[in-house]
Amino acid sequence: MNPSSYVVLSALLFSIGAIGVLVRRNAIVVFMSVELMLNAANLAFVSFARMNGNLDGQVVAFFVMVVAAAEVVVGLAIIVTIFRTRRSASIDEPNLLKY
Amino acid sequence: MTDTVTDVNTGEQVVFWVCAILAVAGALGMVLSRKAVHSALWVALTMINLAILYIANSAPFLGMVQVIVYTGAVMMLFLFVLMVVGVDASDSLIETIKGQRLAAILLGLGLGILLVWGIGSGLVASPTVGLDAANDAYGGNVEGIANLIFTRYLLVFELTSALLITAAMGAMVLSHRDRWKEVASQRDLSIARFRSGVHPGNLPNPGVYARHNAVDTPAILPDGGTSDLSVPQPVRARGDERTLDQVDIDEVRQITEGSGE
Amino acid sequence: MSPLLASVGAETETAFTMPSINYYAIAPILILFGAAVVSVLVEAFVPQRGRRPVQLVIVVGSIVAALAVTIDLRGTRLVTGEGAIAVDGPTLLMWGALLVIGLLGALLMAERSIDPLGDAFAPRASALPGSEDEQEFTRRGFLQTEVWPFLLFALTGMLVFVASNDLLVMFVALEVMSLPLYLLAGMARRRRLLSQEAALKYFLLGAFSSAFFLYGAAMLYGFSGSVSLVAISDTLSAKTGEGSLVAIGIALLMVGLLFKVAAVPFHQWTPDVYQGAPTPVTGFMAATVKIAAFGALLRVLYVSLGGLRWDWEPMLWIIAALTMLVGSVVAITQTDIKRMLAYSSIAQAGFILVGVVAASPQGLASALFYLVAYAFTTIGTFAVITMVRDASGEATHLSKWAGLGKKSPVVAAVFSLFMLSLAGIPLTSGFVGKFGVFAAAIDSGNTWLVIVGVVASVIAAFFYVRVIVLMYFSDPTPDTASVVIPSAFTTIALTASAVMTIALGVFPQWLLDIITQAGVFIR
Repeated sequence: MNPSSYVVLSALLFSIGAIGVLVRRNAIVVFMSVELMLNAANLAFVSFARMNGNLDGQVVAFFVMVVAAAEVVVGLAIIVTIFRTRRSASIDEPNLLKY
Repeated sequence: MTDTVTDVNTGEQVVFWVCAILAVAGALGMVLSRKAVHSALWVALTMINLAILYIANSAPFLGMVQVIVYTGAVMMLFLFVLMVVGVDASDSLIETIKGQRLAAILLGLGLGILLVWGIGSGLVASPTVGLDAANDAYGGNVEGIANLIFTRYLLVFELTSALLITAAMGAMVLSHRDRWKEVASQRDLSIARFRSGVHPGNLPNPGVYARHNAVDTPAILPDGGTSDLSVPQPVRARGDERTLDQVDIDEVRQITEGSGE
Repeated sequence: MSPLLASVGAETETAFTMPSINYYAIAPILILFGAAVVSVLVEAFVPQRGRRPVQLVIVVGSIVAALAVTIDLRGTRLVTGEGAIAVDGPTLLMWGALLVIGLLGALLMAERSIDPLGDAFAPRASALPGSEDEQEFTRRGFLQTEVWPFLLFALTGMLVFVASNDLLVMFVALEVMSLPLYLLAGMARRRRLLSQEAALKYFLLGAFSSAFFLYGAAMLYGFSGSVSLVAISDTLSAKTGEGSLVAIGIALLMVGLLFKVAAVPFHQWTPDVYQGAPTPVTGFMAATVKIAAFGALLRVLYVSLGGLRWDWEPMLWIIAALTMLVGSVVAITQTDIKRMLAYSSIAQAGFILVGVVAASPQGLASALFYLVAYAFTTIGTFAVITMVRDASGEATHLSKWAGLGKKSPVVAAVFSLFMLSLAGIPLTSGFVGKFGVFAAAIDSGNTWLVIVGVVASVIAAFFYVRVIVLMYFSDPTPDTASVVIPSAFTTIALTASAVMTIALGVFPQWLLDIITQAGVFIR
């Protein structure tokens, strides 16, 4: 085994995440799969940083975590909103038809 | 320190194999779990193992950030939202197309094989420089990262503040509700309840002063009549209300009048 | 002080060197970013009623200021921020286009007299559609003024995106540009559930595509040890081996960018998002995201991967051909005008890709011209759609456009102009654009791609002309929508885009000159 095994592992995780996005229908699980893909990319960056001997990869991974945190907030806010609308929409159907 | 290493020591090998297997298991568990909550827990497992792998990969700072940001904040937020939406929510929010699932699995597997094979074969002979020199240059891993963030990547660092502001404001716009009605106090609610004219307190229980206490048995009033309020409306509507025979009523009267002793 | 401490202190002081940043060169970005932050503060401290005028002043003022600086920067050609941002001819050109289109988009979003209930956005995005809360907010005339900071943040992200000189800046800018757009897409006043589903779909697929982009960037970093576009290019020409890593990296990076330009087979989000988002947002997004995404795509291909053009060209040939054909053919079957325009935008992305794969300075110039021409036409098209309404809001079903030419000849004529431009009829900007990309493609030997392009144009002309025929050659029915007279905001935006569509068609030379002077990307 050598450090490139980490990259192979990250490729495996990335693919599983991609399959999750394509196969699952629940928006929250789809979103989790996207997070898994981002994590896989981070693992690749971290391993490459070690293989290349510079810290740029670690810095990229750090920024990706910041981006992911912001993305999660927006994504989950949209999901919760749509959930609330749906729940009420199924109850007052006439309101929806009015528009 | 910058000698090229192509092999890693035994300790790291053990860590790698244990964490790699757990991480893949977590990822598979996420895709295969039927319930969203289970998926979230599986993916949290993957993320913790990734944190250990970062530390093994000479990235102790990122390992800690991974634990704090991903497993600590992001996954907890996911779980929180799952609780808000309902734990067993399995409602489909995207339109399904027939045969899409099989096509998606094949596509994903193809991608996976291509990636793993391509990367595996591309990296066989690649030397590893190691991070010792890079870390030592500024006195440590955290210092090294900090130096890059505040020089080479300074503009990106400042740009991320736009993301955080957008995220905070977006969440607020989608969830903050302006109040335009006075919130009713407990006193207001109480007054409203009495004004409405309906029975303000608890309704009598069924079966009080009766031989049966099933819900279809009306409570007997001290005067020998029965209370309609004590039988739930649906039971009455169906006509399932139990009628009482005279023996019961007499017995109650005896009890209340004290002549039965 | 002990000698040990002194030496540690000395070492840390010499170690850190201040990054050199040319603040004036990135001033347009800083102006918009600063304005966005101020606009957030306005939301916090200015009372409800006063927010809209203040926000409008901030938005228009900052965009105009940024535009003025951009014009003043012309001829600049430098890399700043330690290699993070490249300010060169194409960057400045795209900044100019993004700012002008952004201004027109802002005017459309500011329109309040078309819908009797208010502007195009929900009075409060958090109130459930149809609920008592929402009715009360509508009655009180509340406006969700947070859309303005979102607009400014999105524009900031776009400016950085087209100027980014390394993959990390590009990734973060992509998110800065996208997150506000996801939010804006879900805030429509009418048909909110559709709008929110559009936001969700846009968000999920956008996040999915940025994950691809990131993984591709990881592979290229692994190969070259840097995320800088120039360093990647240098390593590509110096280093042999690890070829599969490079191929995977390029492919995944392209997937991420092609998602944003809506090329087939990464186009599925487009129709739903275009249809569901509030129409002013659709117009803004359709025009600006196309410019920004193509800007980044061009930069990556020309600066970083230029040496490998034989590897990526065949892939993009196929994608360009598929995009043109699928977009044009599927658009024919659409009955909703916003969906039809979504497929039309996919087809247009294909035509621009024809210019991109030419991989020559001429190809770059033609793609830039096409982008500018397309952006003006698109924003005008959506401006017309906001005005054509019936009792239930915008009348987007095609049957409701029947006979519109007899009811409102002027608006129908303007819309016909846009349709003709999108179809590429001579004397409109679309013709000059199409001619340019096809000429560039023939010069670089892609004749077959031009043949596919011409076939796709003919198919596409069918559905553009069909709308014109519907408006002029059928009689108005009781269902026919009517045109609402807008306020100055929409009128200015509409007039500007119509004038530009004709001007770029009849006198294209001035823009072509500017593009020629802009030259190629800095390396």
